[in-house]
Amino acid sequence: MFQTAYRLAGLSLASALACMAAGSANAQLLTHKDISLGIATTMATTAIETCKGQGYNVSVHVLDRDGQVILGLRNELAGAATMENSMKKAYTARTFRRPSGEFANSVKGNPLAGALMLTNIVAAQGALPIKVGDDVIGAIGVSGAPGGDKDEACAKAGLDKVAADLK
Amino acid sequence: MIGTARLLAGISLAFACAATTTANAQLAVHKDLTLPIALTMAQTAAQMCTAQGYKVSVHVVGRNAEVLVAMRGDDANPHTMENSMRKAITSRMQGRPSGDFVTALKDNPTAGALHLANQIPAQGALPIKVGNEVIGAIGVSGSPGGDKDEACAKAGIDKVADQLK
Repeated sequence: MFQTAYRLAGLSLASALACMAAGSANAQLLTHKDISLGIATTMATTAIETCKGQGYNVSVHVLDRDGQVILGLRNELAGAATMENSMKKAYTARTFRRPSGEFANSVKGNPLAGALMLTNIVAAQGALPIKVGDDVIGAIGVSGAPGGDKDEACAKAGLDKVAADLK
Repeated sequence: MIGTARLLAGISLAFACAATTTANAQLAVHKDLTLPIALTMAQTAAQMCTAQGYKVSVHVVGRNAEVLVAMRGDDANPHTMENSMRKAITSRMQGRPSGDFVTALKDNPTAGALHLANQIPAQGALPIKVGNEVIGAIGVSGSPGGDKDEACAKAGIDKVADQLK
């Protein structure tokens, strides 16, 4: 009888503790790693210079976790549309958590895909997600090279430059 | 004799007109900001404000108010990106500090410019000039006061002053 009582008491104590623990865990704030302006600047200038080294005048955008612009840079000789396009490519890579070129391939067979109707989404190669492990914390997009693959190569150069800091 | 004079006058007039026509047919020659100059300006302005503990965003726009650099400082408030851009565009469009627009509105609160896209009466942006020609503008937002934003913008322009010619 006592034993049962103790057991029940023990159980409820354990449950109470478990609930408290769960409560505490839920009440904790979310801890994020985010891109600093310093890292974004290194990424973007590296991408611009890599493309310039190949004779391509491009614009570059680095977006944060929320898809907001941290840095937008326009090479003075880049085409007028490249600023908008690099931002939209980066937004697409950020929100779909994959290279914008992969998204472009995925909608090739479905030109009326709903995602294409969303604001700032563009089916064009040239942007890559920025990751810490599997966590996508932003994206870098490039526009202006003669081909999305060349834009993407410059974006990758920017990512590679700061790879050691993305942890 | 008189005939010769008239003839000569006629000939010189013809040449003068030809010269004028040629001048009009020439392409306009512009000096414009490069990205390295714009980036130096933006980084200098951002660092000047950061050193004083102000979390700011900076925009540098070119001759046609096109954005060359959009830079959001770490932990700068969300509205500062839009605000620094609109201050810079206001300064570029009006060819004067965006703070002067604030002053002008005191005498004319219904100024038409208020209804144009991206114009805003807020201090913190300065035109970038080569001589008297406005080739762009730099705008800052996030300091506790437009005068402090403008001081950082000025630091950016001062840094590249010897290249603005």
